[in-house]
Amino acid sequence: MIGTGGVRMGGAGVSATSGAGGASGTDDLALATRGLRKSYGPRRALDGLDLSVPAGVVYGFLGPNGAGKTTTMRVLTGLIHADGGTVEVLGKPFRRGDRHRLFEVGALIESPTFYPYLSARANLRELAASGAPVPSKRIEELLDLVGLCDRANDKVQNYSMGMKQRLGIAAALLSDPKLLLLDEPANGLDPAGIVAMRDTLKTLASQGKTVFVSSHLLAEVQVMADVVGIIAAGKLVREGPLKELLSMQGVIKVRVRPNLVDGAIAALAPLAKAERLTETDRDEGWLSVHLGTNRAEEVNQKLAGAGIYASGLESGTDLEMLFLELTGGQGPSSSEGEFVGLGSPNGAQNGGAPAGKGTAA
Amino acid sequence: MRLFFSGIRKLYRRPATFVTFGLLVGLIVLILILAGATASRTVGTGSASGQSSRAAIKDLLTFPGAYDRMLSVVVSIGGLFGMIYGAAIAGSEWSWGTLKSAVARGESRVRYMLLSYASIGLMIAIGIVVVFVIADVAAVASASLAGISTSGLSDTSTLSDLPERLLKGWVAVMEETALGFAIATLARSQLAGIGAGIAFYFGEGFASLLLPDIVKFMPFSVASAAVSTGSGSGLGGGASATASLPADQALVMVFVWLIGCLVVVSLFSDRAEITG
Repeated sequence: MIGTGGVRMGGAGVSATSGAGGASGTDDLALATRGLRKSYGPRRALDGLDLSVPAGVVYGFLGPNGAGKTTTMRVLTGLIHADGGTVEVLGKPFRRGDRHRLFEVGALIESPTFYPYLSARANLRELAASGAPVPSKRIEELLDLVGLCDRANDKVQNYSMGMKQRLGIAAALLSDPKLLLLDEPANGLDPAGIVAMRDTLKTLASQGKTVFVSSHLLAEVQVMADVVGIIAAGKLVREGPLKELLSMQGVIKVRVRPNLVDGAIAALAPLAKAERLTETDRDEGWLSVHLGTNRAEEVNQKLAGAGIYASGLESGTDLEMLFLELTGGQGPSSSEGEFVGLGSPNGAQNGGAPAGKGTAA
Repeated sequence: MRLFFSGIRKLYRRPATFVTFGLLVGLIVLILILAGATASRTVGTGSASGQSSRAAIKDLLTFPGAYDRMLSVVVSIGGLFGMIYGAAIAGSEWSWGTLKSAVARGESRVRYMLLSYASIGLMIAIGIVVVFVIADVAAVASASLAGISTSGLSDTSTLSDLPERLLKGWVAVMEETALGFAIATLARSQLAGIGAGIAFYFGEGFASLLLPDIVKFMPFSVASAAVSTGSGSGLGGGASATASLPADQALVMVFVWLIGCLVVVSLFSDRAEITG
């Protein structure tokens, strides 16, 4: 049986669970993979991927380019077959030949695909002829939902990318699925469309449906997702409720006079284990304390108690910091080539340690 | 049946359906009208070549034998167009990603592809009947132009055989369509399927000059032979093989090719990794 739990940390092919729950049945999981492997020739796209997606949540599936997100989506929709490992969809095994499991799943994989010479309405009608039966009124409801009623009779070849994307989301929702798999759903959407999509997905989750969203828009995922899974090089590196992850991963940056850095470290030691308290820049007097951001005041008190007054105090809890830390500051992975970037004017490299981005405490 | 009727609706609205049909009709009508015009010019000329070509055109346009010739024309040229059409439909399912959408909804790949082919079959059946009627009308017009009698037009014995012969013609065109469908499926591309199919069609025609004993078993040759009555030749590349199988054997080979192509489509579709 596949277990559920709190935050899961991948590493060396082993997943540890922490937090409440621990191992339990699959009843609460809408989607689970264990040891999922897939290679394209010599390149390993998935290397023992373990995902646990609870039911009724928006799950943000994150990873650098080439990490294996789209390969995972393809395996989950039966477009490609894994070399090894298991998949459970809505609590039941999903193997080759179990295509009927997908009757309760809606998917938008990569870019939306349609017959260009047909209208949006006709495309949805013809798509509805495959897979699970769909009531005809459902098509009108979805056209209304995605705001394409006025253009529903126009040929799709005349649609903008954003309109195609909206139609793709409508297509994914055709069968009123219990599990929705969306690959970069915000692609091409205008800001209003993104907000509407986010609200729609949250509403679906509140209705008990599970929304699995692969995206590179971290800010978007942070606003939308209840649970996130981060993969790198085909492996899960972290998974859990977003709030817990951010709380665990929070960083409070403190600036003191450079000659007081050692004293500050000693004062803050009781709050954080040694490995979670680092000197960011001794010359400038910056320290980083890996603590929940709600403890910034406590940090300040400890310093003041030791007679050290901070000249700067910042906290950051955003997903981007967590993502960069877990993926080693990767933008694109080596398998897809590296986007080097222009670098900062002083020659410093981007990525790596959290950059102190956040809100002032 | 949902999927089958969906396939029909998609084909009915697809520009390629009408472009293919229009080109086929236009080409056949043009050939027949030009034949009639050529024959009318040779009336009264004493040259041997003029007399010879008029005799050939008279053979083509004289009813009831013209019914067979028209069917041969429809099957030979229609076979090429059917193959192109089949390749366009199958290839687009891969290159447009519409097969991917259906598979992600839990649809069977094999069922999807075979029902797509079946819906093409219905469109081609309608197309063959309509084109055959148009070709006969054009042949009558051409015969009138050339001063050739059309008295055999209502020959009852020929007319009673027409449904069976049209059915064989449909099977023959469906075999050639299946070939284009299979090539485009393997190539996952409309253009590659169409290009390879056309190369196959003309390649078979040229190869018949060098390897007639092998080529007579090839798809276009057997399709042509299956509808041949031995009373005249059709038009087109693969159909003009110098050696051909008897009609019954050719029909068996047509089924072998047709089923073989569909097996290839099924196996490949079932096992293919759908990416992109």
